[in-house]
Amino acid sequence: MDKIKKMGKIMLIGFAALFLLSWIIYFFNLDMKASVYLKKLMDKVYDMRKRDRRL
Amino acid sequence: MGKKMNSEKLGNFYYGNKTKRRREWRGAADTWYDYTRWLANWKVMAKFMMKPANLKGFFRYRWMGSYLAVPDFVDRHTEGLRGPQLRIAHKEFDFIVEHVCETIGNLFRADPACGNDEEFSKRVVVFDENMMSQIMNGFPNLQMVCREIPVVYTPSTVLQEGVLHYIDVAEEFGLPSDVCPMPAAELGCAIDDDFPQIGICAVNCNTTCDGSLMGNGVEARRFNIPTFQLAVPIRHMQESVQEYGAEEIKNCIKFIEEQTGETFDWEHYFKCMKTFNAETKLFREWLELSKTDYPQIIGNNVALYRDAYYQVGGGRDARFLQNDREITELGYQGYEKKVLCASQVRHRAVLWGVQAQYYTAFPIWLQNCWGILPLIDMLSLTSTSYYSEDDKEQAYLDMADLYMKMNMRNRSNGGYEVGVDDLWRFCEEFRADMVIMYEHIGCKAMAGYHGIFEEQARERGIHLVWVTHGLMDPRKASRKDMRGEVNRYMRAVLQEEPLDPTLEDFADDNNW
Amino acid sequence: MKDLKHLYYLENLLAEANNDLVRQAQEEGRLAVGNVCSLIPEVLLDLPGCFSVRLRAPRTGSMEVGTYYMTSLLCEFCRALVERAMEGGCEFLDCIIAPDACAAMNRAVENMELLKTCNKEKFFITYSDVPMKSDETALKHYVKQMRLRVLEPLNKVYGIDVSDEALQKAVEQYNRISKLIRELGEYRKEEKPRITGYEFHVFCLATYVCPKDLLIPILEDTLKQVKRRRPDEKSPFRARVVLAGSEIDDLDFIKLIEENGAMVVADRHCFGSFPGREEIQLNDQEDMLTQICRHYMTTGQCPRYMNTDKINERKDYVDKLAKEYKADGIIYEQMKFCDYWGYERMAASYIMEHEYGYPVLSVDRPYVVGTSGQLRTRVQAFVEGLEIKEIHRR
Repeated sequence: MDKIKKMGKIMLIGFAALFLLSWIIYFFNLDMKASVYLKKLMDKVYDMRKRDRRL
Repeated sequence: MGKKMNSEKLGNFYYGNKTKRRREWRGAADTWYDYTRWLANWKVMAKFMMKPANLKGFFRYRWMGSYLAVPDFVDRHTEGLRGPQLRIAHKEFDFIVEHVCETIGNLFRADPACGNDEEFSKRVVVFDENMMSQIMNGFPNLQMVCREIPVVYTPSTVLQEGVLHYIDVAEEFGLPSDVCPMPAAELGCAIDDDFPQIGICAVNCNTTCDGSLMGNGVEARRFNIPTFQLAVPIRHMQESVQEYGAEEIKNCIKFIEEQTGETFDWEHYFKCMKTFNAETKLFREWLELSKTDYPQIIGNNVALYRDAYYQVGGGRDARFLQNDREITELGYQGYEKKVLCASQVRHRAVLWGVQAQYYTAFPIWLQNCWGILPLIDMLSLTSTSYYSEDDKEQAYLDMADLYMKMNMRNRSNGGYEVGVDDLWRFCEEFRADMVIMYEHIGCKAMAGYHGIFEEQARERGIHLVWVTHGLMDPRKASRKDMRGEVNRYMRAVLQEEPLDPTLEDFADDNNW
Repeated sequence: MKDLKHLYYLENLLAEANNDLVRQAQEEGRLAVGNVCSLIPEVLLDLPGCFSVRLRAPRTGSMEVGTYYMTSLLCEFCRALVERAMEGGCEFLDCIIAPDACAAMNRAVENMELLKTCNKEKFFITYSDVPMKSDETALKHYVKQMRLRVLEPLNKVYGIDVSDEALQKAVEQYNRISKLIRELGEYRKEEKPRITGYEFHVFCLATYVCPKDLLIPILEDTLKQVKRRRPDEKSPFRARVVLAGSEIDDLDFIKLIEENGAMVVADRHCFGSFPGREEIQLNDQEDMLTQICRHYMTTGQCPRYMNTDKINERKDYVDKLAKEYKADGIIYEQMKFCDYWGYERMAASYIMEHEYGYPVLSVDRPYVVGTSGQLRTRVQAFVEGLEIKEIHRR
């Protein structure tokens, strides 16, 4: 029973931590701020690709 | 910070970077709702990226980079919204996110460079971007893909510089810079070898404009699959052209049958048209709501979504109908509670002309900054007729009617009766005192009425506010330039003060 | 070379839309039918009792009124037409028969209508839906539209005879004019041509904007003169080019090209003879109107035709002309802000160079080019390039 309670507690804390983290990411727009860097990186990948450029 | 509209100073969120400082506090209930929707959208995107073919596509195609800004795109289209409007917006935009993910998933599944599912590719019929899809209602075993929508159309909306690279490529090859940026970007993408090479055959249509039609012809050189050119009449209001339209539809169906070995399934066609008609019925109700003192489903909450289900959905995807029902329900709830779409409603406006793809959130800004209600836009004012659910001969005419009257084409083609006269009719029906007139640099069809619009608006005592833009090219007129034209009119002519002064001038030139 | 007798007269005539020959025909009781595009078969507007006048705006200066009504984003040709109409320059017309071909021209005609620029009592405008493909379905539609939007209004409003006999007469007249123009144009094939591209353009352009019957004696006389004409010992031209593109009714444009050393040996544009001046072969199998429409549909080279066969045919057509008229290069031109030709020029310039192997000069231009230094420089550079290429070849 104690084990279940403990597990429940850990899960609860885990969910709470996840919720808090995601909430911070959401509210402070951190997902989009990180995407800016990823986009810059991806643009370099796209620029490097050889293309059959013609009409 | 609060649950009331304009309680947050939205202009302060912009600080010259790609993103906003933070997300909005809309009061506990609305913020919680927005947060859960944000999570749901990330889940859809994460699921999409789990598939190896999609991951490959992400690294292969430049336009995929634009989709990194999807959450920001949703934020832009829900900015300042509360209550039912926020929920309606999420219902629509979140579904668009899901739908686009599915479409791209299909593209990559068939694409030899990604999923390389040859059998699936043989079941794909590629459609032109600006094209209705109802013909495919009779081919339940085939998949219709509007190739340019996820590749050019949506990226330019998600990210304002989304297709500039492709426009530049087309111009490097000698395309004049005075043509519409949309077909130019599509052509640039084809030249740049950035379209997935999929499908068993393709159908192009003489759709919105001369440039679009010409771009298709040149682009087709890169695709190497049999292509049918569907030439439906331009003077679509004339009775004498309907028969030809129907004949062309028959020719197109025959072409698809020959290329795919499938037979047109009338039963399935009529089933889809039932769904389509049910959607139309709900859309009519939305319009009726917008004519009242308490409009609910307006501006952005109509524009892009209407494009999606009228044109691409076409009645084949019943999820749109379910979504529409929920939206309608929310609309009625808002109406009964007399909810206003802006903290103060000062003007009722019809938006005419072609919207800027890089600023599809402009109508929301009109609401938040000046209390101008964008009741309805030209692109959404497509056919609201009910189409036959059992008569085959009539169905050919119906399909032709839909193709002739697809978004934008029904106003940009067909003469001043639909391009000019109808505007005043809508102003009367919606009791609008203002017209926000988009002037898209490169759109010859609407620019040709410039002086006529001016004169006739003056005669009718309607405020006509010109908003110049470059459709997919913000270098021609930035978001700030667009707002500036409204600001000037509101200050100089109407001598009004903004509802949110921080929104009058803010730095978003670099924004996504 | 000795001057052509009628050249100066026609140059002056072309300086006015409502010119002497138009007035003469109207005084004889005939109707002036305004026409804005080759997609309306000219023959149908040249029925006994009326004559077609392809609208132009010669001597255009300011386009401010046209720009107010249609913005600076539309093709200048269309803006110039609206400007001219606002000035009263289209008052002489008895009707305008317009196709809904390009958006810009359609808007120009709609503005003319809404702004009430033509005020004759029975004046009318019709808009036809013309085909964008060349096939049997499109032909059926074309015939129907021409019957409803051209023949019926002419008959109902003005009592014009639209019978098969009348159509046949119009075809005969059209064929006569086409034969004369083509024969005149044949002299451009010669190594030392007896007619220049500019001179030819003057005569050809006149056939689009004047009553044809009044031009026949002038063309016959000119043809006789050209037959006897002795070319210069040393040709003033350093290269031969095909000129392909949209509306060219500005005489100075071809003059500018030729002044800079490139003779225009073939004219593939909306006011040129390719296509537009080929004889209509009649047969007994089809009704007259269908045959006429079929002729225009199959010979048409407008970039508006969107089916793949036609798209490819347009390049083959220019290739054939270049070979037949021994051209060293091709000049593709378009009016600025023209969507159709913007794309066609871009694609054709690329294809003709990379796939057919021709040197190509690709230009966009304003409506009036007479003094364009930029264009002059580009043509000069192109001609020099052709010469260098020729030296390398030798």
